[in-house]
Amino acid sequence: MHRIVIFIIISLLSVTAYAQDEIVFTPQWTAQAQFAGYYVAEAKGFYREAGLKVRIEHPSVTQPAMSRLRSGECQATTLQLCQALEVVDGGVPLVNILQTSMNNAMVIVSARGKDPLTQKGARVGIWSVGFGQLAICMSIKDHLDYEWVPLAQGVNLFVVGALDATLAMSYNEYYQLVQAGMKMSDKTVYRFCNHGYNVQEDGVYMTRDYYEHHRDEARKFAAASRKGWEWTAQHPEEALDIVMERVEKERIATNRTMQRLMLKEVLRLQVDRESKRREFRLRPDMVRQAARLMKNNMMLEREVTYEELSE
Amino acid sequence: MKKLIAYFRRRLSVRLSLWVVLFAAVIFNASLGFFVWQAREAVHQEAISRATQILDKTSLRVEGILNRVEVATQMTEWLVQRHPDKADSMFVYSRGMLLNNPDFYNCSIAFEPYHFKEKGRYFSAYSLHDGDTIRTIQGGSDHYQYFYMDWYLMTKLLDRPCWTEPYMDYDAPSNSYEMVTSYCQTIKDKEGAMIGVVNTSLSLNWLSKTISETKPYPNSYSIMIGRGGTYFVHPDTAKITRQTIFTQTIDRPDTVLTALGYAMQRGEEGMKRMKIDGVDSYVFYKPLGQTGCSMAIVCPESDIFSGFNRLRHIVWGIMAVGLLLMLFFFIRIITRELRPLGRLAKEAETIASGQFDAQMPDFRRIDEIGQLSHSFADMQQSLVRYIEELKDTTAQKASIESELHIARAIQMAMLPKTFPPFPDCDEVSIYGQLTPAKAVGGDLYDFYIRDGRLFFCIGDVSGKGIPASLVMTVTRALFRTISAHEEKPDRIVTQLSNTISENNEQGMFVTLFVGTIDLDTGHMAYCNAGHNPPLLISRDERSVGLLPVNSNLPAGIMPGWEFVGQEMNIDDGTVIFLYTDGLNEAEDITHRQFGDERMLATAQVTVDSGGLTPCRMVEQMVDAVHTFVGDAEQSDDLTMMAIQYNQKIGADSERSHSITLPNDINTIPQLSQFIDEVAEDASLDASLSMSLNLAIEEAVVNVMQYAYPEGTKGTVTIVSTIAGGMLSFFISDSGKPFDPTAKVEVDTTMSAEERPIGGLGIHLIRQIMDDVAYERKGDKNILTLRKQFK
Repeated sequence: MHRIVIFIIISLLSVTAYAQDEIVFTPQWTAQAQFAGYYVAEAKGFYREAGLKVRIEHPSVTQPAMSRLRSGECQATTLQLCQALEVVDGGVPLVNILQTSMNNAMVIVSARGKDPLTQKGARVGIWSVGFGQLAICMSIKDHLDYEWVPLAQGVNLFVVGALDATLAMSYNEYYQLVQAGMKMSDKTVYRFCNHGYNVQEDGVYMTRDYYEHHRDEARKFAAASRKGWEWTAQHPEEALDIVMERVEKERIATNRTMQRLMLKEVLRLQVDRESKRREFRLRPDMVRQAARLMKNNMMLEREVTYEELSE
Repeated sequence: MKKLIAYFRRRLSVRLSLWVVLFAAVIFNASLGFFVWQAREAVHQEAISRATQILDKTSLRVEGILNRVEVATQMTEWLVQRHPDKADSMFVYSRGMLLNNPDFYNCSIAFEPYHFKEKGRYFSAYSLHDGDTIRTIQGGSDHYQYFYMDWYLMTKLLDRPCWTEPYMDYDAPSNSYEMVTSYCQTIKDKEGAMIGVVNTSLSLNWLSKTISETKPYPNSYSIMIGRGGTYFVHPDTAKITRQTIFTQTIDRPDTVLTALGYAMQRGEEGMKRMKIDGVDSYVFYKPLGQTGCSMAIVCPESDIFSGFNRLRHIVWGIMAVGLLLMLFFFIRIITRELRPLGRLAKEAETIASGQFDAQMPDFRRIDEIGQLSHSFADMQQSLVRYIEELKDTTAQKASIESELHIARAIQMAMLPKTFPPFPDCDEVSIYGQLTPAKAVGGDLYDFYIRDGRLFFCIGDVSGKGIPASLVMTVTRALFRTISAHEEKPDRIVTQLSNTISENNEQGMFVTLFVGTIDLDTGHMAYCNAGHNPPLLISRDERSVGLLPVNSNLPAGIMPGWEFVGQEMNIDDGTVIFLYTDGLNEAEDITHRQFGDERMLATAQVTVDSGGLTPCRMVEQMVDAVHTFVGDAEQSDDLTMMAIQYNQKIGADSERSHSITLPNDINTIPQLSQFIDEVAEDASLDASLSMSLNLAIEEAVVNVMQYAYPEGTKGTVTIVSTIAGGMLSFFISDSGKPFDPTAKVEVDTTMSAEERPIGGLGIHLIRQIMDDVAYERKGDKNILTLRKQFK
């Protein structure tokens, strides 16, 4: 019922949205090097060259980007694959127009030098906007029964000792912990990609409805964004300048050192483990793996397929 | 550098001053260094206590307000707990908090989702200072889901009141951010279940000002970090909230900074010395109450020690200037003190240059320099005296020498020195030579002819120099006097000896050889008084021997001693060679004596070479003895006399011929004719005539070809004498000095073509003639060729 109501609202808002030429693009997090490619595409005029008018608008820390997409505040958003599956399963058909991540970046960092796999029933921080699906699956599968504590952002709660462990992105929170003076080791850090959960993350999604009416713009947007990422990979320092400009503008409390580390890691994650290339494609096997995992753990009502997400 | 070293070596005053100043500098430095080290310790301790006091004071101030926040929050929580069901009261409570505490930034009383069913998912009574008024609103929304925020979760998870990490608080209505730190406390219902959180925030701005307010040193600053190491107070605002204390260590590992970060995170209190942004600094740190934050005061070392360093530099400066002044004055003083030495050195130089009367300076000092000066003056006076004496002595010596010179001349004048002495007497030819070892000598020789008899003597007075020369003079006079009326040598010697020995208190004596030769018969009578036996050299037998002599006593030793005479007949051409021990006892540089063997050998060589004449004999002996002695000093008078007896041939009277020819070899036939005439006059046989012709022609052609420069005209005169079986040719010319006898002996083993030009002629001449001699007389070359033909 709830989902149907949302769908109707979105449909109604969509009508007004379609009328405008501008594409509002909302990355799923506050401004940082994770979205360098899009800033570059905008700053370097790749969108303009493609005849597009693109505006990048970030969500607030507690507002999921998806809710902006649903409400028509934006036309394109980045989502992790698992989130996308959830949304599609929730009845909002989405189209993946560009897949940037080829690897999973999520880790669990455990406090007090403990192995996360031995922390049964531990209190583990998770993003309130929902990036932690795989972790929940893993917790269930490995009978760890973690007590998930949704939090807005950051690592402060973990640092002050309010949590036993926390989920972290290898390009973001992981480095924040390093910056906070945490000593990281293979023992205290659990990397999902190394334990059979290497599921792609960031991709650019549009509602299928919007996509059907704006195929051309969508493709141009995807192509220009990809170009932005490729340029970023070739000019990381210049890209970093652009990122820092954005970060300053958005008053994000971060620094160049952190953003450089993040960019390096994000670019590393974009290289496919097998082909060793930046493929910019959704892998059907990963979609299948994620969908099955989530369905098995009752996070999806049905197995959402690759075809449903693809153009 | 070399110049500098040379300068130091030259300047004693500079060297001395440098040593003194160097030692002073070492001592000053050591004591000052110790003082500085001690003082630095004291300043260091002072800095620590000062910084610690400030930290404590600041910490107390901060804790005071933190306590108020804590108490106020607890009060509010207590109020809320009393009325947990009245949602709208929460606005009053939160507002009241700010009303009562104007220095608080905001206050939220936030509840679990759907706690008030009628209020929906979000309910947070949020009050905030907005200028002078207080704005109170409901703060939760989809955009601000407070229950996911750190401040809400921290106290909930920790289940106790706590201070959050500072964070940027976003105020949606004014779209502004404020950095705050919040004290949060959970609200529990009667069952003890958590229903919400009271959050009271303090603006970090205020805290930051309080912390940064007090500065122990002008360039010191304060920092504050949270539990995650994030900077919340820092002079570089770009770092605040954006960087942690560890951020810069990611790019550039810095163990000291990392250690400081950990210590501050652990809430420790202390002090660390480290480099911060390249500046040596002291960091004093202390936790801030229960906030989990830690504050630190960073004091650059240069600040802490600036006063101290200034003082140190001044002291060092004073010391350096003092040492330089010291050096300057020392150099001045020592130079002044030593100046007399310089003057003394100059005066000494003046005196050394010969100005003995130079005025010595009087320094009027009684120290070492004064003593030196006096000694110098005394020395100068002594020197002047000495020089005066030396002058006198030298003058006297010069006078004596001049007298000696005259004496020598007189002595030499006594000796026969014209050779040949008897040009008209063919029977005897004599050559004598005396070389005294000193100005005057004790040797003598003499001869004269009386009544067809040659009287001769040679002697050697004991000792040398003036005494010997006086005795020599007496002896010679006695020889003349006695021999004037006495013919027998033994009687002459006996009388002479008796005369000398009278009043001979000095014990002087003389070795003497006295002889007479009857010029007609060649009968020689002689007496030897302790003298070396003369050499008897036979020309015809070409033999050399010692004349048999009785040694007898030297004359003048024993009055009344009868000397024994001896007699013998000598052959024609025989040479009597008389000498003193200056010849056979002549020493070379290694004190080897010339000896009788060498003397005899030299005589033998001379007689063997043919052409035996007294002059040649003596000259050969002189050459031999000079060659032997080399550079050694002559130790004794050297006297030699050779007498050659030539028997008179009754029918033989001297005949002479002469011819003068131009230097033209075409005139040679005239020469041949001339020689034939001479040969005929001397009744020479044909073969000797032919040889003679060859030799003379050779000599004359030689003169014609070489004596005059080519193209100039000149003459050559040939004079021939025939006397006593001796044929002599005197070839003279006025050309350039030219000694044909000096030509190297020709190597006759070589073929004619190989031989160098010249030389062969003179060789031929020597072969034919008995004697070949050359002399330069005036501007004439005279070549004498002799041939004995009977």
